[in-house]
Amino acid sequence: MNAARKLACVVLLAVCAVSLAADWLAPSGYAKQFREVPSSPPSRQHLLGTDEIGRDRFARVLYGTRISLVLAPAAALVSTLLAALVGGLAGYLGGIWLRIATSFTDLFLSLPWLFLLIAVRALLPLNVSPLSSVLITFFILGLLGWAASARVLSASADSLRNSDFVLQAQASGLHGPRLFFVHVLPNLKPILYAQFWISIPVFILSEANLGILGLGVAEPLPSWGSLLRELEGLVSFREEPWRLVPLVLLIVVLTSFQLVLSNNEEVTA
Amino acid sequence: MNDGSLLSAQVTVRYPGKPPVLRGVTLEIAPGEIMGLVGQSGSGKSTLALAVLGLLGRQRATVEGRIWFQDTDLVAMRERDLRALRGRSLSLVLQSPLASLNPALRVRTQLKEAWRAHANGTSADCDAAIRAAMTSVSLPADEDFLRKHASQLSVGQAQRVLIAMAVLHRPALLIADEATSALDVITQSEILQLFARLNRETGMSILYISHDLPSVAEICQRIAILHEGEIVESGPTAQIFAAPRHPYTRRLMSSLPHLPTRTGEPSAAQAAAAK
Repeated sequence: MNAARKLACVVLLAVCAVSLAADWLAPSGYAKQFREVPSSPPSRQHLLGTDEIGRDRFARVLYGTRISLVLAPAAALVSTLLAALVGGLAGYLGGIWLRIATSFTDLFLSLPWLFLLIAVRALLPLNVSPLSSVLITFFILGLLGWAASARVLSASADSLRNSDFVLQAQASGLHGPRLFFVHVLPNLKPILYAQFWISIPVFILSEANLGILGLGVAEPLPSWGSLLRELEGLVSFREEPWRLVPLVLLIVVLTSFQLVLSNNEEVTA
Repeated sequence: MNDGSLLSAQVTVRYPGKPPVLRGVTLEIAPGEIMGLVGQSGSGKSTLALAVLGLLGRQRATVEGRIWFQDTDLVAMRERDLRALRGRSLSLVLQSPLASLNPALRVRTQLKEAWRAHANGTSADCDAAIRAAMTSVSLPADEDFLRKHASQLSVGQAQRVLIAMAVLHRPALLIADEATSALDVITQSEILQLFARLNRETGMSILYISHDLPSVAEICQRIAILHEGEIVESGPTAQIFAAPRHPYTRRLMSSLPHLPTRTGEPSAAQAAAAK
């Protein structure tokens, strides 16, 4: 493991740990309003100051990080499972099933991802409770983000279907779901893990995109997207540099993910 | 159909959009016999093996003709019934031992899966069957060995594990498709002796497919020569080696490497093959 990857791992672990300790580090919570000090600069009480309605920015960054870091892996899990089901099964079955799945996946991949995400989210109710908005965002990301992974998995499953050990298993009398779950799926696991990890930074960024457009997690729940949206009203970076913390955090986390994953790709190559 | 044969095949096999790979191939195997099928790469040997097992579906090949096995036509058989035969009455050992074992599974799991495909006994029954199969192929049946993955086995050990899987249910016919081609000469000799012993002890018939004439000569009672999708010659091994009739068989015999003896003369077997 090289130094950059070690550093990236440490950064990711530190960000996760700090966000998990939000209840302890920012006991005031993300929604409490300090109406006497709206839009205040950093102070001892409010490390990153307060927003326009007096909410503690530091608390909102911590809770927002927690939501984004939970939301993205959860969505990645849904999309990877869906990809395993569509791609893995189609590749394993081969023939017409593979052709149908490949065509469907290609169609999905040809649609601009962000446009699709925004269009689907806009079709769904926007005036919903914060919890519902989290669930909707999570499901949209998960349900729309499976295509690229499915493409990789169908190719891998197709190659496994034609492997000697699957032929040997068939010659032993194995067939159907048992053959898929016992002999094919365990060999897809490394690819599933890789697709899961690769999807996380994509979904973090996608959630941030939805959030900036006001289509992500609903107020008062914070997420990186909704925190970045607050930058709309920023007049001067020089006067209020602390307001850039969510953006810096997003860049740091995505870069760290990229470093960790690119190193993995080098190792597997 | 009952002429005393365990397997009697007369088949034509074609892949989509291509001329037939096998053209009216006729093959008969008697119970307890080791039959050799010899031919060069691409002659259709593996296609015949897969046709017998009904495993040509994934290549979308069509099989015409009849393959009688234990008085049942395998070509006309439903897939469900064929599955009941695969691994139980008909089994297969492939060429590449390490590629034929699932890299993600332990040896025990692979044997267990092969056993469970045709048996509903208890875990103890399964363990006993696995131990018996491992012992029959001269492999340790201890926990340490059974916990290994394919990558932790030598090629010879992997081939023995495959053979153990193939003989778990004491099949009537074992098809060894180039089962010794990927092995070094010493391991090859051990595996050949193993096939011969299993045949002697269990009465199991073996269709030994190979392009390697010396190994075929070592264990097969009869051989059939497959050339460009047709059986050009078949008969007792000694007869074929002593007096090959077809030009292709003669070419095969003459292509055997000539190892010099101490006197510089070819060995007796090579001399016979060279006739």
